[in-house]
Amino acid sequence: MRQERVHVFAGNAFAASNAQGDMEVDPRAPVGLWSFDTRFLSRWVLTVDGERLNVLSRDDISYFETRFFLVPGAASHYVDADVSVIRHRSLDDSFNERITILNHAAEPAEFVVRMDIDADFADTSEIRSPRPRRTTANASFADGALRLRYERERFSRETVICTTAPGHIDEGGITYRISIPPHGQWVTDLHVDMRIRGEGGADVRTSLKSHGQRVGHDMRQDLREWLDRAPRLVAERDTLADVYEDALTDLAALRYVPLSDVGRVPVGGLPWAMALYGRDAIVTCLQTLPFTPELAPATLRLLAIAQGGQLDDYHDEEPGKILGELRYGESAGFGEEPTALYYGAADTTPLFVVLLDEYERWSGDVALVRELRHPARMALDWIDEYGDLTGDGYLRYQRRNPRNGLVNQTWRNSPDAIVHRDGRMPGFPRSTCELQGYAYDAKVRGARLAREFWGDPEYADRLEREAAALKERFNRDFWLPQRGHYALALEPDGTPVETLTSGIGHLLWSGIVPEERSAQVAAHLLSPELFTGWGVRTLAEGQLPYNPVGAHVGAVWPSDNSLIAAGLRRYDHDDEAARIAAGVFEVAEMLTGSVPEVIAGYPRGVTSYPVQLPMAGRPQSWAAGALLMLLGTVLGLRPCGDNLLVSPAVPEGFGRLELLDIPGRWGHTDANGRDHSARSRERHSRER
Amino acid sequence: MATSVAEFLQGLSPRRRPELPETSAGTVRFDVRDEGHTEHWYLTLRDQRLDVTRSSADADLVIRGDREAFDRLANGRTHTFALLIRNDLTLRGDVRLLMTLRRVFPGPAEARHPREVARRGDGRR
Repeated sequence: MRQERVHVFAGNAFAASNAQGDMEVDPRAPVGLWSFDTRFLSRWVLTVDGERLNVLSRDDISYFETRFFLVPGAASHYVDADVSVIRHRSLDDSFNERITILNHAAEPAEFVVRMDIDADFADTSEIRSPRPRRTTANASFADGALRLRYERERFSRETVICTTAPGHIDEGGITYRISIPPHGQWVTDLHVDMRIRGEGGADVRTSLKSHGQRVGHDMRQDLREWLDRAPRLVAERDTLADVYEDALTDLAALRYVPLSDVGRVPVGGLPWAMALYGRDAIVTCLQTLPFTPELAPATLRLLAIAQGGQLDDYHDEEPGKILGELRYGESAGFGEEPTALYYGAADTTPLFVVLLDEYERWSGDVALVRELRHPARMALDWIDEYGDLTGDGYLRYQRRNPRNGLVNQTWRNSPDAIVHRDGRMPGFPRSTCELQGYAYDAKVRGARLAREFWGDPEYADRLEREAAALKERFNRDFWLPQRGHYALALEPDGTPVETLTSGIGHLLWSGIVPEERSAQVAAHLLSPELFTGWGVRTLAEGQLPYNPVGAHVGAVWPSDNSLIAAGLRRYDHDDEAARIAAGVFEVAEMLTGSVPEVIAGYPRGVTSYPVQLPMAGRPQSWAAGALLMLLGTVLGLRPCGDNLLVSPAVPEGFGRLELLDIPGRWGHTDANGRDHSARSRERHSRER
Repeated sequence: MATSVAEFLQGLSPRRRPELPETSAGTVRFDVRDEGHTEHWYLTLRDQRLDVTRSSADADLVIRGDREAFDRLANGRTHTFALLIRNDLTLRGDVRLLMTLRRVFPGPAEARHPREVARRGDGRR
């Protein structure tokens, strides 16, 4: 049986323990205390009189704070336990745990309380087999601290554990011999500092202008303000408001402060992607513009700062390319992984332009569009100069790092994701369909930016010509007339990879589909081969590679579905969009809490409950963002000049929906909508 | 290609560099440690131009390290960000300027244009 994991997290730091609060290395999952891609605690085990503890209950106060209520010993003698233990932990810039031991007896009691402590300083890339490291442990009685340190050349990571109650500190932990009066208690606070040492031994983050503002800042207050800034949802179906608040809270939790001074940006999510991923961050911003627009300017600025500037094979970097992944760990620093600025993504660059334009439409922030003209122009140039690998006018990818670069450089990034219907693998460079949609959209939007804000009408004309040519070419080469849908990809020689996938939904979102073909595309998306009842599968049933538990060959992703539903509404397929929105919302309602990034692609009629996948991240920024985007889609929110257009197409069963104080260039405004039953109920009451 | 950071910086021409954003501006000081003494280089970025002088004046970003680390930066042997993670170079100030400056430094010598890789027909990678 899979063991339950309890997480507290904040930004790119997190602590993962078992249900008792103990942390011990597990090769299947990143357990322990992590920050900046390094494990600062690999062992954190509490015993009382040599016995492990058992959990009575737990209070997950917030994403950064949890309380465990425990008793020593085996389950059989819970009942008349005369001692209980509370572990109250929180995570901000440091990890803190308050341990309280309560003596319920009428007699004084003596205990030996022990916290076993170790740090292996493993890198996020080596969960399965952490390499042995030569670390030093220094137990210092003078300042009541245990210092664990790892050094490799000048690279240095240090964990410093302090205790408020006096204890005996040794190299493997802290022991307290305590005596508690009748009905009394004993308390200690353990403070764990995670140090990344830079110049002169000072923490890297404090010597950078941008960091250190977070220290001492009140996370509860911050969360409250974040929720207050977002629009308020009033829904007749009350579970919707819970799902909405959970999604907003996930997004609050998954923001981190990068080393450059731009504001907080989204990380991918727990537990595997607690780092900046260009794609996840851009998609999250696109999803959340009507709700939490502050994420977008920070993300755009950071991605512009980190924009590719060189040719570098190992990092799959080219000038103008937008980042795929950014890690700070040892393996990135020593080149064992290409993740110190990895650019192996072919979609992030056009999507960067799409986000810049879409953000301006919502916010009216013309200053940012002017500020980012240069990076946006470099991104647009990249599409043709470095993205068109065979000269046929299609955006393609082929890794130049064959050692550990990504094989598939789109959101379908598992190695088996791009595949023929019969299971054959296409050659490289690969040109997938949604990349062409993104490139088309980037050119159309780039033209608007050039004409309206950059004072460059000639360039705008050129981009529009290129976009029109791409759309025409694409509809000739990717369209499969016999099947009535678009190919997943083209081989290097132009042969189509005819597989039916959810990628065709992204094409609607990008607007590269002519009106007359959209109904056929919509019909495929909602066919039993693709639509499970919960959402659209990544790859349709009935083709050889289909596997309902394969991430990109059959499973269902809320983020994928949010773009598809938005695309369906763009082409006025309102009922189809509503069915998808209803399915994904029901997943969130049934699972409660954070929506996972992916669920199995079994038909809903077979499982009647959404089946979770063990490797699925939860929470994830773009899964939480998907729920917000779907909400915006059913309400039909669209900026038009200085106004917000509202054109609801609400799924049956949602009743009345009101979204209040939607921020944007109009200031704040409200939107509301009703499903069919609510409309007829209201009509009847008027008629009476 | 320059083999040392000094050679590289001396060889930088004051021409306009279209790869630098016109909105980026600031000053960067390199403190290059070499056998007990420190050489200072002072770079001023403005209007897509980079001006190099020798000065130990205050700068928006100060980068410190051994000559060897700076040489690796200047000849593209080690990734800029890797040098930072490894603590071979340390920063004080505005990290954004380093990301901009990075475009002026050469990448790895053996790097290829993606089209060149695609043309080789090595389609099974």
